[in-house]
Amino acid sequence: METNHPPAASPSGKKPSVIPLLVVGVVLIVIGSLCKGQAWTTPAMFSGLDLDLAMVITNVGLFVVFAPVLRTYFVDPLMEIMDARNKELESAFTDAENLRGEMTQLRSDYEKRLSDTEASAREQIQSQIKEAQTLRQQLMADAAAKADELRTRATTEIEQERTRVLTDLRLEVVDLTLKATEKLLGEVVDSEKNRKLIQNFIDKVEVAN
Amino acid sequence: MAVDDRVARRYAAAIFETALHHNVVKSVEDDLDAIAACLTEGEQFRTVILSPEISREGKISLCEKLFADSTTALTMQALRLILHKGREHELVAIRDAFTVLRRQQQGVLFATVSCSEDLTDKQRTEITARLRLATGKQVEVQFETDPNLIGGVKATFDNTVLDGSLKGGLAALRDRLYHDLLKQA
Repeated sequence: METNHPPAASPSGKKPSVIPLLVVGVVLIVIGSLCKGQAWTTPAMFSGLDLDLAMVITNVGLFVVFAPVLRTYFVDPLMEIMDARNKELESAFTDAENLRGEMTQLRSDYEKRLSDTEASAREQIQSQIKEAQTLRQQLMADAAAKADELRTRATTEIEQERTRVLTDLRLEVVDLTLKATEKLLGEVVDSEKNRKLIQNFIDKVEVAN
Repeated sequence: MAVDDRVARRYAAAIFETALHHNVVKSVEDDLDAIAACLTEGEQFRTVILSPEISREGKISLCEKLFADSTTALTMQALRLILHKGREHELVAIRDAFTVLRRQQQGVLFATVSCSEDLTDKQRTEITARLRLATGKQVEVQFETDPNLIGGVKATFDNTVLDGSLKGGLAALRDRLYHDLLKQA
């Protein structure tokens, strides 16, 4: 906001001299005082009015005398205060404008950073999701491979155990059969058969070289 | 008391070399067999000879009375030395080692033949002859009876076993079945 007011000094920066005005004022006061009571000061044209020209001249002189004083001791300081106030306001407005600009810039920066952050966050989230999916697939593949390995190992162990038990069973059957055969032979073989066995040994015995 | 085979082999080697030098190996072996038989079968003699309460001189005196007239001078001299050295516990082992040395020197093969029943003399003769023929060596056979064989004959010599017994046949059959079963597994 800008204010327009008359300049307190001339463009040259010098205040107009008050002495001529004082002289003119004093002259007018003197003239008014001298003319007081004379007939021309109350013309007939103003007969209906209570007007005294001498008094008017005197008052004008007084005004001319007091006008510089008023201007020097009242109007000029007032104008200076108003100028200072206007300058302060202008400075405040300028600062406010600057601050608003800075705030606008900060807001723009913040929005940009927020947007960047959101984009980065989305990218990171997508990356994490992708990584998690990859890890999940890897873990599932590992678990499946391990399960297959365990199943294969268990199958092999079961097969080995089955074979071992079957072999043990067959060996046990062989042992029992041979023991039964041995017992049966013990009952069956008599001296005659033993003699034949001995003779068979004598006939066929050989020593391997 | 534990018998030290190394000591027995050293005594046996010394006696055998001396006997061989004087050509009395057979006589000395017979003497040692007789003394060993007295030790294994004669309980009183064994008790006296192995007793630590009897002095060496007493043992030597007793042996001289028992064997001086029936054994060779070399055997008696060896017996005195053995008793003097306190090696009476090794007497049987010395006899065994002497017999091994004699067999080695003569190239005789010692075989053990087991049968479930007592063999007749004819069968023993035939088995001995057959072993001699099979090995190409002189054979000394010790016959034993082993009812566990069920039937047939089993001959053992050196590191060789000729098993013609039913027990051996069943064992061979079992080994073969075991082998086949384990091979299938």
